[in-house]
Amino acid sequence: MNKPTSPAQLAVSRGLSIDDLVEQRRVHSAIYTDPEIFELEIERIFNRTWMYIGHESEVPRTGDFRLRKIGRQPVIMVRGKDGAVNVMMNRCLHRGAVVAEVESGNTKFFRCWYHGWTYDTSGKLVQVTADAGYEPGFCEKKGGLARPARVEDYRGFVFASLSDDVLPLREHLGQAADLMNYLIDFSPTGKITVNAGVNKTVYRGNWKLVGMDGYHVNYVHASVVEGWADDENSGIAAMHKNDPFSDEALTRTRDLGRGHVLLDFREHRMASIDKYVDFLRSIPGGPTYIDAMFAAYGEEQAKRNLSLAGDPHLGVFPNLQVLGNQIRIMNPVGPDETEVLMFPVLLDGVPDEINALRMRQHESFYGPSSSGSPDDAEIFERAQMGMNATVNPWIDMSRGLNREIVDVDGTRVGRISDETTQRGQMREWKRLMSMA
Amino acid sequence: MNKHATIARQSEVGQEYEAFLFHEARLMDNHRLEEWLALWDRDCLYWVPCNAEEVDPNRQLSIIYDGYDQIRERVRRLSGKFAHAQQPKSRLIRVLSNIEIESADDGTITGHSTFVLGEVRLNRQVTWFGRNEHTLVRTEEGLRIRRKKVFVLNNDTPMPNMTFLI
Ligand code: FES
Ligand SMILES: [Fe+2]
Repeated sequence: MNKPTSPAQLAVSRGLSIDDLVEQRRVHSAIYTDPEIFELEIERIFNRTWMYIGHESEVPRTGDFRLRKIGRQPVIMVRGKDGAVNVMMNRCLHRGAVVAEVESGNTKFFRCWYHGWTYDTSGKLVQVTADAGYEPGFCEKKGGLARPARVEDYRGFVFASLSDDVLPLREHLGQAADLMNYLIDFSPTGKITVNAGVNKTVYRGNWKLVGMDGYHVNYVHASVVEGWADDENSGIAAMHKNDPFSDEALTRTRDLGRGHVLLDFREHRMASIDKYVDFLRSIPGGPTYIDAMFAAYGEEQAKRNLSLAGDPHLGVFPNLQVLGNQIRIMNPVGPDETEVLMFPVLLDGVPDEINALRMRQHESFYGPSSSGSPDDAEIFERAQMGMNATVNPWIDMSRGLNREIVDVDGTRVGRISDETTQRGQMREWKRLMSMA
Repeated sequence: MNKHATIARQSEVGQEYEAFLFHEARLMDNHRLEEWLALWDRDCLYWVPCNAEEVDPNRQLSIIYDGYDQIRERVRRLSGKFAHAQQPKSRLIRVLSNIEIESADDGTITGHSTFVLGEVRLNRQVTWFGRNEHTLVRTEEGLRIRRKKVFVLNNDTPMPNMTFLI
């Protein structure tokens, strides 16, 4: 495959330019199917913007590491001797082999077994084998494993950017950071741990299909919605009282800017917060948990923190979602293949039963044998198949344009089924893809 | 696994256990969901761990961790017309082997088995491998499943949908 070398050359993909591909009301399906466009996304989106790598609680002790990806590039997230979380490219300075091959572990050194070069947890090259073959001082001069241009964290969420030309992370996240607080401060100590394993799934469809969509729930998840009726007070049903997916509900879709988007349940959930707190008090470990939350934050703020059940339903462009009881990473594999990694999140400072329940809730809707995400994967595959029909290549994203408003805080807001979120993601996609 | 496990065929109770497993496999292969549900004791655990074979299910994620109510809900959902990931249904054949009895007394039989499972759906064939651990209890209606644990060999890799009965 020839890589496009200039925007002009990309424009050749079916004779279309980025501007032609993304309009306000519709996008061209080539952005989901075309291998050249996918290559350009890797270059201009994944290799250039802030990417979520992992949570610092995944590497609690010195030497703990996890392997992750930035787009398609392998990286190591490791806790160094100085206590900082380092992100380094997983590629030996000699002839390019990965220096860590198992997905997680604890180590003092990364040794590349091709020729035995050895790096410490800060990435520094500390030993070159049989070094008489090199001039003196070679090892020191080589330095260490390459690093992304920028690594920053927001309350333990570690991000990296391969390009230096990005805003400070906090600024880049904007309101998305405030929403992430809803997960973190669902713990009475304001701490979460991400060490409960991961569901890894893969579907044969484009990464952008994951989206953040309030329109699909009653159709894609009809098998689950049907069950809510039977079981009014079960965990998920209790959260979805008064159909939050009705356009009459107080729920909203929100475009927070820079591609970050939200299914906004805040007002809807606050409207019945007292009932929800009663429900939480009725579950094992609930009274202790609620008391701890009230003590930590004061009743009023505690209720706000509790309202979303730790689930902001937030998409952080391009590879992170914070929803359900999980942190989710999307890895693009090819134009028509995507990996979705779901990491359930445990709360610090709560009774064990609360965390066990969070795990069970997660398993019931997410993962390859659950009631929810397999139907999403199935539908994404059907969308990918359908988009091979290109007589009319347009994807309609106009829903709610007739009633979308700009809120006082500058975010765009639609009804829960409106495509405000899709348009928000595409706006950022277009901005990044248009930068030569 | 116990080194004293015995090959199922060598004992009468083993043959009974093996016959039960073959029956369960046929029901699962053919999506005979209600009949499969009837094989479960009310007091039961259906467990498919994730990422490893041995995990603490209260601290570590599983793929399935169902009690009776959740199994019944699974059957309800898969029996309806909205479980899109099983529309159309997967065609399934599983081959059970290496059936061994770990322990048996008057009321309970525990044993292991392995399987290879071929799945065909929408022009794609997927091969699954796994190891089962079944604990069966004797009830007035016959043997029932008290506990079933399935270690799916690729449970730490990116997985496509596994929405049929495993
Ligand atoms: S490639 Fe790593 S030591 Fe040679
Ligand atoms: Fe969904």
